[in-house]
Amino acid sequence: MTPDDTRGFLRRVFRLPESRARSRRALDDELRFHLEGRIEELVAQGLSRHDAEAEARRRFGNLEIHRNATLAIDDQIIQEHRRMDFLDTVTRELRHAARSLARSRGFTVAAVLTLGLGLGAATAIFTMLDAVVLRPLPFANADRLVELTSPVPKFKGDTLWGLARHEAFYFQDNSRAIEDIGLYQNAEVTVGGDGGDHPAERARAVQASAGLFRVLGITPEYGRNIVLGDNVPRTPTVLVLGHGYWQRRFGGDASVVGRSIDIDGYPMTVVGILPASAQLPDQQVDLWYPANTYPGQQAYNNHTWNAIARLRPGFTAASAQRELAPLTARLPELFPDAEPPNFVKNTGFYTQVRPLRDVVVGDVMTRALWILFGSVLVVLFIAAANLSSLFLVRMDARRREIAVRAALGADRSHLAAQLLAESVLIALAAALLGVALAQSGLRVLLTMAPTSLPRLNEVELGAAGIAFAAGGALVVALVLGLLPLFGPSLLDLGLLRDGARGSTISRRRHVVRGALVVSQVALSLVLITAAGLMVRSFRNLRSVQPGFNPDGVLAMTIAVPGQRYGRDYARTSAFYEQLITRVEQLPGVAVAGVSEKIPLKDGNLCTGVTIEVPESDRASGDCPSTALVSPGYFEAMGIRIAGEPLTWSGMDQHDGRMIVSSAFAELHHWTGRDAIGKGLKYSGTTPPWYRVSGVAADVLADGFDKPPVSIVYFPMLPLPDAKLWGVPTEMNLVVRTKSGNAMALAPAITRIVTELEPSAATANATLMNTLVAKSMARRTFTMMLLGIAAAMALLLSVVGLYGVLSYVVGQRRGEIAIRMALGAQVAQVGRMVVAQSLRLTALGVGLGVVAALASMRVLQSLLFGVKPTDPLLLGWAAVLLLAVAVAAGYLPARRAASIDPADALRAE
Amino acid sequence: MAAPTERELLRGTLDMLVLKTLSWAPMHGLAVLRWIEAGTRERLQIEEGALYPCLHRMEQKGWLIAEWGYTDGGRKAKFYRLSAAGRRQLAAEVSRWRHYTETVALLLAAEPSP
Repeated sequence: MTPDDTRGFLRRVFRLPESRARSRRALDDELRFHLEGRIEELVAQGLSRHDAEAEARRRFGNLEIHRNATLAIDDQIIQEHRRMDFLDTVTRELRHAARSLARSRGFTVAAVLTLGLGLGAATAIFTMLDAVVLRPLPFANADRLVELTSPVPKFKGDTLWGLARHEAFYFQDNSRAIEDIGLYQNAEVTVGGDGGDHPAERARAVQASAGLFRVLGITPEYGRNIVLGDNVPRTPTVLVLGHGYWQRRFGGDASVVGRSIDIDGYPMTVVGILPASAQLPDQQVDLWYPANTYPGQQAYNNHTWNAIARLRPGFTAASAQRELAPLTARLPELFPDAEPPNFVKNTGFYTQVRPLRDVVVGDVMTRALWILFGSVLVVLFIAAANLSSLFLVRMDARRREIAVRAALGADRSHLAAQLLAESVLIALAAALLGVALAQSGLRVLLTMAPTSLPRLNEVELGAAGIAFAAGGALVVALVLGLLPLFGPSLLDLGLLRDGARGSTISRRRHVVRGALVVSQVALSLVLITAAGLMVRSFRNLRSVQPGFNPDGVLAMTIAVPGQRYGRDYARTSAFYEQLITRVEQLPGVAVAGVSEKIPLKDGNLCTGVTIEVPESDRASGDCPSTALVSPGYFEAMGIRIAGEPLTWSGMDQHDGRMIVSSAFAELHHWTGRDAIGKGLKYSGTTPPWYRVSGVAADVLADGFDKPPVSIVYFPMLPLPDAKLWGVPTEMNLVVRTKSGNAMALAPAITRIVTELEPSAATANATLMNTLVAKSMARRTFTMMLLGIAAAMALLLSVVGLYGVLSYVVGQRRGEIAIRMALGAQVAQVGRMVVAQSLRLTALGVGLGVVAALASMRVLQSLLFGVKPTDPLLLGWAAVLLLAVAVAAGYLPARRAASIDPADALRAE
Repeated sequence: MAAPTERELLRGTLDMLVLKTLSWAPMHGLAVLRWIEAGTRERLQIEEGALYPCLHRMEQKGWLIAEWGYTDGGRKAKFYRLSAAGRRQLAAEVSRWRHYTETVALLLAAEPSP
């Protein structure tokens, strides 16, 4: 065959594409053959050469026209062929790849499992990150919604006040940045019983300004929203029902619109029902009723309103905050009745604007999810590294096949197509497995996840998650499929000549594989350290003495109707005293008490108190939280008291005893028993004074990682002439049990409450231990997920290490056999393998320590009581990995040692 | 050159003639023409260039298979042969043609009705 024919043959065999130039040449050959044939024929018939040519051309007709017409057809043919060739190549390569993968089932299963695991973890966490952090809140124009708050840095560190009503309306009228503004306050209310199936119950309510409905884009399902006119107080007031509550309490009956409902003993008229989508950011609301907020009302210095604003297009939170600064500074001048002249100067008061989403999700959660996402990407990388390692082993085994194909004229793109087809198939299967794993993993995660995490109800594996898994799989497939082509060794035809040895190639591969293992070990060390830091933080947090003892303690809210109790301390106090007496008679109950505020549940906004003999150097930040309590509360909550506690008989006889927290005493430099006998009052400066009878242990009421709360406790039955801030119609009942399930007491307590006062309601029955767990939820959750990621990283690294060692032992069979034949001991051979494992791991550990030291600072805000660069933890992580390296080397070492020299050498 | 009427006729039937010709044996373009000339006793004279778009189109349609080969004189030429699809196409065209000519013949032979 001529070289031309050979090319044509190979082209057909390997289906190399035709080119237009080639088809043009072929057509010209064909036409020339035709004309020359005719001319010869005519010459044979006796025409002169010249005449024959002219006659042949005449018969042929217009050469250009016919040639072009034919070429056009040829071009179509080429295009069709190319299209079909492409499809053909794809299906053929895929089929070929599927067959070849089916042949090596072990490899395929290992590869799909490894990558599927990595993809599953990454997809699950990406889905959470997407739902919680990346996706906008479920409101119209969510990206333009901001929260307005008022920091008072000079008054009290990180306290955030809300907005005053006049302030909000002033901003609405005068700020260019703010398009609309909504105000609200959370409240719990008692919905009166209907005499039938529904007894009196507590409901989560919101007092809202009409603006809130506009800002959040709420349109009612039935009836109407709260409108501006409703915000001017009048009776009866109106009410809008949340969808869920409407379903639960009224069975979804739309005729409830227009009906009157008893709220805290007052009639309110239902004017509308909201759709299920209408919610406050990450907060379920049962009832919405109008807040007393309207433009032009008397200005008060009450910065207590939550404010959500919608910015005009083009403004950011930062630019809005800049714009509001001068407006805020002018407030005292404009509203002299509300703010004292030096108010802004003394408190450092300003208006802070933050994107609503950041407020809802929180910095810690955002950071935690990004860190977790980073961790699972690392796991995915480790999985992909394992996979590359597997692929490299496979490549080596197939070097001959590839060399033959290369010699037969297959070019790199064809070899790439074949490798790519295999990795695409594996990635595809892995993506399917990953999505399935992510789906079930998320379900488990969400049931384990504490409900106090934001936006968890929005987490769902959807198109974004599936696209992520597919995209991740594709990237891995591309890298895997193309990676082996970048070395020249693939097309080394020398392989065909000298048998399938090519030791230089395998050395190059050794380096690549070694590098993969080293990076896996290094990354695992980083993840293990991170998980270790989280576990240490969690344990530190758990071992903190919170100042109360949550074990076996039940807490629940008890509310009496404000209409009948709201002005009568004695009546209210008597009710709670009766209740506590009855509850203490229940079997298993040790002691019970009530308090307005309990740790980890109620906010501790501070108020001022007056002291009988003020110190000359009054401590700055002297702004304690206050709570009304009953005798027995401290015992029930397990808060130790130094001095005399409150007693029932003493309180009823107005002995004036009160308790202060240790932090409050320290702030006033009352050491030891100094505090006892000091006179305090809620407001006013004239006798009678309450007398401090005991100092309560400090309680970490705002969270175990926060400083203790400075708080003063007044008796719930005040002195007749030293009024407190209001009758406590809503209290937390705290019950300490001797044994058994404290939660099981809740129904019995609710029965007692209803017997004592049919229109009283109970709610929020919860164990104190549950509140503790909730307060640590974000840390626990992060710790748990980081732990899972670290365990996966460790497992995959071990598998990677094991794979490489097994391969190396396989490769070195000959060498090992010679050593054994020359008298090496079994133990020596084993040590050699383990030593290799340790060498790689030690290098990885070294790099990992450096990486951990450099990167652990991102964890700082999630840690508690442990430094990000804790040397002990790093040491333990290193030891763990080295131990694992020895274990990973064990099996391959045994295999190496069991090689029979004679067999191995014969096989060479 | 063929008369215009013959050319009209030819355009629709060239495909059929080429298929018929190639049903005897694989041939190159020039041979196909010689066969048609001989077979029709030179009554049909085709503009030879028009044969090539026709051959390539039928190759595109999968009726013909083209291969380069050598003539008896040892010259390289492109040979066409009928594929299975080409054979089916030929049968279809022939039966259509017969039907058509029979119909026309019937009409031409008809006596005016009394």
